[in-house]
Amino acid sequence: MKTLYTILIAAISLTMLSCNKETSTTQTNVMNNLLTNKNWYLDYSIIEATNSTTPVVVKSYVGQSTYFITYLKNGETKDSDGITGTYTVELINGQSQIHKQLKTSNGNPFEVIYNIISVGESNMVLSKLVSGPATKLYFTTK
Amino acid sequence: MGTTNTLSYKFLSILIFTIFVSSSMNAQTLTKKQQDSAFLLHPGQERMRKIKKSLAKTFVNFTGNEVSLYGALALSKQNIDDNGITAPINYLYNNLNSNSFNTGFNGGFRIDGIYKEKHRYALSLAVNRISAGTYYKNIHNLPPFIDDFTHFKADNVFTTLSIAAHYKKLLPVNDMNKYKFYAVIGPSFDYKISSISEENLINGAGNRAFINLDLGTEFDNKGYYILFAHYKLGNYISSSTVPVQLNRFEIGMSIKTKDLF
Repeated sequence: MKTLYTILIAAISLTMLSCNKETSTTQTNVMNNLLTNKNWYLDYSIIEATNSTTPVVVKSYVGQSTYFITYLKNGETKDSDGITGTYTVELINGQSQIHKQLKTSNGNPFEVIYNIISVGESNMVLSKLVSGPATKLYFTTK
Repeated sequence: MGTTNTLSYKFLSILIFTIFVSSSMNAQTLTKKQQDSAFLLHPGQERMRKIKKSLAKTFVNFTGNEVSLYGALALSKQNIDDNGITAPINYLYNNLNSNSFNTGFNGGFRIDGIYKEKHRYALSLAVNRISAGTYYKNIHNLPPFIDDFTHFKADNVFTTLSIAAHYKKLLPVNDMNKYKFYAVIGPSFDYKISSISEENLINGAGNRAFINLDLGTEFDNKGYYILFAHYKLGNYISSSTVPVQLNRFEIGMSIKTKDLF
């Protein structure tokens, strides 16, 4: 009888403790879902100067008609300048990033990496990883 | 035509009678296998008999048990604290935050009885379809362009399996021989059996088990049915990066199974 009770208690405890577990791809999957199959229009770019104690902020209104980019569900990306390629959303040392392998309209390959500052259903902020002042790009969907 | 019908009825009656007689004869005479089986030990049956005996011994003080079926409407709201989320995700606050109670339902069965002929109790098992309004405690923004968002999107429709153990205190209201009013208190436990979305799992936020404190009143109409109103205040049973407080009001009715079937 004791054995039966023990098994019962163990089964109940296991059921209580077993949860849907977060996997290594949960965060990137969620971000991918928010990112894909939309046209992201660049509204603003902000360049922050890093060589001063009080950073100089240069805000420039780009306007939605100037530039947009699309991330497709199949891992491809294309933008309004005719640049195409592939992309992956990655989580590296806790930092969410978009890695793009692109080709110019002339066929020259190049890689760009963006840090994801924030991504949502209708707005996104990316930071371009380049040497010098960081450039933040503010996108919205229409 | 009439003669044919009469003949067929007669034939049918004889056939049914023959089947009945043969089956009753079969019931009286055991087959060789059944006769052998009667002398054999049945470990399964023996174990069941022991369990029943043991349960009867253990629960000797739990008397007057009545099984009832019940159903209820449930108004639910969850309060969400998303400060533990580090993923750079935003959901527009006004799109998600309803700050209201939404309607769900539940159904199950309960056992009402008396412990040591003094303390009334109710044990219940139910399936709950919860549709919860959501209140997000924190509002984030990302100046200069993104205002009022939350980092987390909670599942607001889900199904749980719940068990509850309630202590019932008879209240000295009205004619207690006819109508009984009870104050009810006790714990309950909910376990999510529906799938959890990926949004809900992010940064270790996902959790399936709730522990609740239940408070309420019940009205017993001469033993025909019980009307009840319960308030449940629930929290995740284990730690989560996004603590959720689940508030529920349940209004329902239970009827004894022996009156139903």
